[in-house]
Amino acid sequence: MMDKLKLAVFELTDCGGCALNILFLYEKLFDLLEFYEITEFHMATSLSEGNHYDVALVTGTVSTQRDLNLLKEARNHSEYLIALGTCATHGSVQGSVELPIREKLKAVYGDGGNPMRALDSKPVVEYVAVDFALPGCPYDKEEVYQVLMDIDKGIEPVRKDYPVCIECKLNEYECVLVKKGLPCLGPITYGGCKAVCVRSGLGCIGCRGPLPGEVNPAGEYEILKDLGYDDEYIVRKFKTFARWEP
Amino acid sequence: MIIEMREFTRVEGNGKAEIVIEDGEVKDVRLQIVEGPRFFELLTLGRHYYDVPDLEARICAICYLSHSVASVIGIERAFGVEVPGEITLLRELGLIGELLESHALHLYLLVAPDVFGYPDAIRMATKHGELVKEGLALKAFGNRIRVMVGGREIHGINVKPGGFGRYPTVEELERVEKESEALLRLARRAVRLFAQLDPYGAQARHFVATDGYLWGERLVSDEEGAFHYTERIEERSLVYSFAKQSRYKGEAFFVGALPRLLLKSEMLTPTAKRLFEEHREKLSSGYVSYNNLAQAIELVYALERANEIAKTLLDRGIEGENVPVEPREGEGIGYVEAPRGVLIHHYRIDGSGKVAYSNIITPTALNHAMMEASLLEEARKLYGEADERAMIGRLEETVRAFDPCISCSVHLVKF
Repeated sequence: MMDKLKLAVFELTDCGGCALNILFLYEKLFDLLEFYEITEFHMATSLSEGNHYDVALVTGTVSTQRDLNLLKEARNHSEYLIALGTCATHGSVQGSVELPIREKLKAVYGDGGNPMRALDSKPVVEYVAVDFALPGCPYDKEEVYQVLMDIDKGIEPVRKDYPVCIECKLNEYECVLVKKGLPCLGPITYGGCKAVCVRSGLGCIGCRGPLPGEVNPAGEYEILKDLGYDDEYIVRKFKTFARWEP
Repeated sequence: MIIEMREFTRVEGNGKAEIVIEDGEVKDVRLQIVEGPRFFELLTLGRHYYDVPDLEARICAICYLSHSVASVIGIERAFGVEVPGEITLLRELGLIGELLESHALHLYLLVAPDVFGYPDAIRMATKHGELVKEGLALKAFGNRIRVMVGGREIHGINVKPGGFGRYPTVEELERVEKESEALLRLARRAVRLFAQLDPYGAQARHFVATDGYLWGERLVSDEEGAFHYTERIEERSLVYSFAKQSRYKGEAFFVGALPRLLLKSEMLTPTAKRLFEEHREKLSSGYVSYNNLAQAIELVYALERANEIAKTLLDRGIEGENVPVEPREGEGIGYVEAPRGVLIHHYRIDGSGKVAYSNIITPTALNHAMMEASLLEEARKLYGEADERAMIGRLEETVRAFDPCISCSVHLVKF
């Protein structure tokens, strides 16, 4: 029998959702454990036994010196590192507060300085090279399952290259941008979420980050302007989840 | 001398503690929240109210719906919007789904391994597979309700000021009615399991909860009279932690499942109430570790209440209409019981519908002082008696009893 791959989950600063989502795989988690052995996963186990990992999943932004040290450790000790979730790939909402760290800390903690060595929240991809970037706030759990299975089989996982709109159309959801005039970022956002927000009749908020390549953010901008949304609103909406690009 | 506890495991987020020993005695304990600050209040400033609940949901994955609902209620109160019973019941159902998902995660996957002596639930599953499966079944049911009401398992955007993007179908509600009844047996078994454990941690002297079971217009405590948080709760910054500490009239206090049961047992459903009465003596001792037992009783409450709500909605039918929301200048506070305790979202909104002031206080921040007090008490009991590893293990269990959600605690702002 083949040895199981050693899997680590490292959580930097985030909401815990990307780590939690792995536990939400339920029975599929047990399928995964046929091929992987978890040797580091702070939220789920008190064991911490690895110094070498075949695959490391890193979630969250680098927001403290502690996060940065942990990230470097993860990178140095892993073969294949995945930036998991929009915090790790694009900075997500916590990376979108556009003030210098000193001012942010002052607003929260007063004049007490920076005793805990906080840094401006930036995605993992700003600091280290990653082998794969899987966005989503949170990412789709089926997707991480597939990626881990691919790696185990020696296949390079495929990155989605189509916008949310495609999945919306495949599900035959009504277009909320055209029909309801809601601000929907589906046309310019990475697909892979199965257009879950449009399923609720609401606009895509762009939580998987902007799709690069042949998309047309200028066109989206014009549509939203025509619908009556002001410049500031549109710009903030565009930048909420993605100030950085992997 | 300082004994350093490494970062806590089987909790959400990153925290650790230092135990200060002087002259052979435990002098002090410092609970350090090392999770980075996330500045959520700053993030929402100047934002249009409609987008705010979706952003606030991202404070926490385990209790995103509590944040969405607290945010929506805060906004609606600022605008003087009232929603009909149908919408209120659906929000409550969502919070119940979250309670089930979160308590099941905590009790079965994070605490149970301590009870049976395993490092985690995956390794525990080899011998206690049934129990782990039961926990996962409850958790999955809670998540199905979250998908139905909130839009997805984590960070859904379906809960909106004035109503919902999408309303549940009759089939979905029928499924909730059936499944909640079928799962009740498992929850009752959890109560038996967690009732057996010996107490540890401190005995809390003050308890705080919302005045309704899962949300309210104001807060209540073990003393008389409902109140707003600004009247009796104060926060202060610490040099060693990214989370602030809150105090009730200057003292440490407890929010969570145990305070809810103790302050609001008359609101419980029949079986939950009977189980509460059966264990009342234990629970009334106020030991923080009985929060685990209280959570187990709340699993029973949640299943019974989900069943009631589903029945009520099926009887009267769902209209699925949102209340129109017109922004106006105003101020509002949303008080919700997140699974791990009181959650406060406080906003001021300007005439154009943009957030001008925002303050969020989460249960883990409210419990911070109580967690420290519990660690201190437990460390004093164990130092010199147990070996250091056993002591640290028990201290970690003491923290775990609060079901802390450390990520959520780190973004408080005052202007």
